[in-house]
Amino acid sequence: MKSVMLYTLSTCPFCKMAKKFFESRDISYNFVDVDLLPEEEKERTVAKVQEISGRRAFPVIVIGNEVIVGYDELRIKEALEK
Amino acid sequence: MNSVEKMLCPVCQVAFLFKEERVLGKRVVCPVCGAILVLSKNNREWILERPKDITLEEEIRARVENFARLRGYRFNEMKEPLIEALLKKHEKYGDFYCPCKIDNIPENVCPCLETRQGSVERDGHCHCGLFWK
Repeated sequence: MKSVMLYTLSTCPFCKMAKKFFESRDISYNFVDVDLLPEEEKERTVAKVQEISGRRAFPVIVIGNEVIVGYDELRIKEALEK
Repeated sequence: MNSVEKMLCPVCQVAFLFKEERVLGKRVVCPVCGAILVLSKNNREWILERPKDITLEEEIRARVENFARLRGYRFNEMKEPLIEALLKKHEKYGDFYCPCKIDNIPENVCPCLETRQGSVERDGHCHCGLFWK
């Protein structure tokens, strides 16, 4: 099973939908609500998100080695099946 | 008096040509971002201000609906959760910053700069899923 990591914001509806996608399929995932982190950790995490995705927008979904920016069910399914 | 000159939208920070009659208190819709604005005077200069006599919810609903109408975009079931998220952002950070972006800066005030620059045309929807082609 590929590892799944979600970088999310607590204010972002697509981020909530991404979590539901994995929950409804019983796929285990890790996540971090970046906006709720303490300031220093937030800056570090945002810098990492920017490095892997090129954006400062959420959600950023990492499945194995694949990075998906935004909520794109088709791409998520493809990445899980690869 | 009518005069054609540019006026600055205090929401999207874009100056647009203003050709209408200038009447104190007149409601105007920004043709760039859809914000509802009010004609006002600062000393002797005409300015546009955000309305103070409507609720925040009325303000953001009118803005996104005007923007969608101006661009020919539509909404779907994402609209209500996003209105709620925008109101939460305002409560926490003082303006309607994009709920899906970490930076609470002027270019991320809804409709954000990338949306105004055509991301809906390119991607089919704005990053948040509020505006759809």
